[in-house]
Amino acid sequence: MKMRGNGKGLLFAAALAACAGAAFHGPAEAQDKKFKIYLSMSYSGNGYQTETSNLIKALAATPPYDKMVELKTVISGTDVQAQASAYESMISAGADAIITFPISATGLNRAIHHACEKHVLVYTYSATVTEPCARTVSYITAGFAQNTAQWLVNTLNGKGKVFIDRGVPGNSVDKMNYDGAMSVFKKYPGIQIIAEYYGMWSSQATQQETAKALAAHPDVDAVFGENGEDGIVKAMLAAGMQKLVPVTGENTNGFRLALANPDLRKRGLTGISSGDPINVSGYAFKLMMEELTGKRKVSVHNIEYPLPWVPADKVKVCAGDKFEDGCNAFPADKVPDSFNTEVFDPVLTPELSLTSALNGTPTPGATIQPLPGDIVRQAPDVPGINCGKCEAPADLFKLTKVQATVQP
Amino acid sequence: MSAETRPGTPVRPADTRGSASGRGLSRLDRDLRNALVLFAVSIVLIFASRGLGPGFGSLAQIKAILLISSFVMVVAFGQQMVVLIGGLDLSVASMMTLGGILAFNWIGDSSAALVWGVPAILLVTAAIGACSGIGISLLGVPPFIMTLAMGIMLYGATLGFTQGTPTGAASPMLSALFAPTAIGVPMLYLMVLFTLAGWFVQTRTAFGRRLYALGINPTAAYVAGLPVRRLTIATYAISGASAGLGGILLVGYVSGVTLMMGQSYLLPSVAAVVIGGTSIVGGRGIYPGAVAGAILLTTLSTIVSSLGIPEGWRTIIYGAVIFVALVLLRDDLQHLLGRRRRKPGKD
Repeated sequence: MKMRGNGKGLLFAAALAACAGAAFHGPAEAQDKKFKIYLSMSYSGNGYQTETSNLIKALAATPPYDKMVELKTVISGTDVQAQASAYESMISAGADAIITFPISATGLNRAIHHACEKHVLVYTYSATVTEPCARTVSYITAGFAQNTAQWLVNTLNGKGKVFIDRGVPGNSVDKMNYDGAMSVFKKYPGIQIIAEYYGMWSSQATQQETAKALAAHPDVDAVFGENGEDGIVKAMLAAGMQKLVPVTGENTNGFRLALANPDLRKRGLTGISSGDPINVSGYAFKLMMEELTGKRKVSVHNIEYPLPWVPADKVKVCAGDKFEDGCNAFPADKVPDSFNTEVFDPVLTPELSLTSALNGTPTPGATIQPLPGDIVRQAPDVPGINCGKCEAPADLFKLTKVQATVQP
Repeated sequence: MSAETRPGTPVRPADTRGSASGRGLSRLDRDLRNALVLFAVSIVLIFASRGLGPGFGSLAQIKAILLISSFVMVVAFGQQMVVLIGGLDLSVASMMTLGGILAFNWIGDSSAALVWGVPAILLVTAAIGACSGIGISLLGVPPFIMTLAMGIMLYGATLGFTQGTPTGAASPMLSALFAPTAIGVPMLYLMVLFTLAGWFVQTRTAFGRRLYALGINPTAAYVAGLPVRRLTIATYAISGASAGLGGILLVGYVSGVTLMMGQSYLLPSVAAVVIGGTSIVGGRGIYPGAVAGAILLTTLSTIVSSLGIPEGWRTIIYGAVIFVALVLLRDDLQHLLGRRRRKPGKD
């Protein structure tokens, strides 16, 4: 683990590390004692936050981790300082590892650095931090926006009027998504952005904002969306549009069901369901456990979660509570429309099921399966997102899922 | 000193104000005049926006504005009743979310369950509102502290109750309220009915008149023998119920719920009430004013958000217009303007 700072700090850290020696558990004694693991959430209250934490809770209760892990959850609220002091309390309580949804990419660095000095393993899921000693597991860099934007341009044949439905203003993820999408749209003079609004990553706000934009611009040809995109489809239906337009978005269940609906397909609805997968937390937890128990050496700090990519014709509704036989959506009576569908992955987290996501309970009979050997993928550097003083690669917004079939 | 605190003001001040000069619009009740002015401003705004885009000023846009403003409108009814007695209800956001979650969970996709489900939800949210009223009137907790605390507790309760992921379904009959039919959108008719009913309750019932009396001077109201505590509790119960109703309607519109769904309605509910000419210290204002305020706010946000200007500027414009509206509609300013038109000595 990397240590930074001046000589004094190093000495101090070394002294502290020596004192904390008893609390540091190497791989050798891994199986004999319970690991003290903290789940630190900044806030809770939207489905996304609860679902991600439920997956971690379910995995921690799945054999053999149920005997090896003592998981404590701390929710500290939307205040950066509160989460930083929560980290500090975990460190002094003798945490072996902290898995966390960080509220800020930069504001928690000091506390995280302190944790690393104390040999506490820090994993962040979904959101990232710039502190280099933390492991960040996230889809943010996986190319959601530029790929869906390019798909939209291909579908429109390079020409048309487009709405952009953004997330939460000022959020770094929203900026990343916007820049990614604009990197594509800007290349095509035939693409006209006629409205840009913030759907706040919420289906309800997205529906209202889309309804407003539709009322002012009924001649729209396509909508680029972030999370909450099922609201876009609902707004089109509520506005009485007979001819529906292509929509790209993330993975809410309502959106996937709409894409699979033959009546809506006939009226012109098509799209790509991609975006932020809930399962990133489950993957991060398993990876962290493998590193903690010495089963795997992780040398990469910023780890990329693969981008979900479900075109309209590939949406398949599941018969049961697991992603089996290539299914990727649930019947409408099982989960609300705003439910984020990518809750598990047959390869990364076969132990999980729908009830794990809804209740945080382990799947009966399941045991922890090791992650595939070569699964860890390094994420590119993005300044302010997962690194501090770094430069983004020139091809940060390169296309990975689609090819440009229309040239500008 | 504004008019409502002067001694000797009658129980229903709306009747006696603005009728002195007797010409044209000014013959109308001043509160109603405010409301009409706001409606007119909304219409002017919509037509002025023509040419900005193909749909600006269109019937579709007006319909969208009215439908979206209906949630603010319903929540603003309860908020206004509370403001009329000099209070404030900051729990409407969580109350709305609760109403939505219960509608999602209890009513689900059954149309039959609407019959008992809607009254049951309104009862629950009214009961919680009444608890705020009890805290305020019996324990003497300031309204904004009491309702803030209630809102936070409610938020926690809904979070625990749903584990973050509400389950259920949206009733097709609720959704049908927002769907266009041959005779228009049913919700628009309900809005008109609701506005008239709200106005009637405020100005034509003993309960409504007592609220004005209580808002103008609580001490006088108490001395006059009004059941001040019961009135306060009932008013917060009404606010709870109307926020709950707003949540139920929102489920019909978005066919889904989130734990934050009410959040974006708290400030607009207060702003609509205040822009609509309701005095924030209580005692004056009528529901059509709040309705007009809600429509004006939504019109503004619709136009501004469709203009394609950066979010920072949109928020500044939105805030600036609310500020200007509040300054222009200020009671003493209106009073001053009214006085100038009247003969000296008559007021």
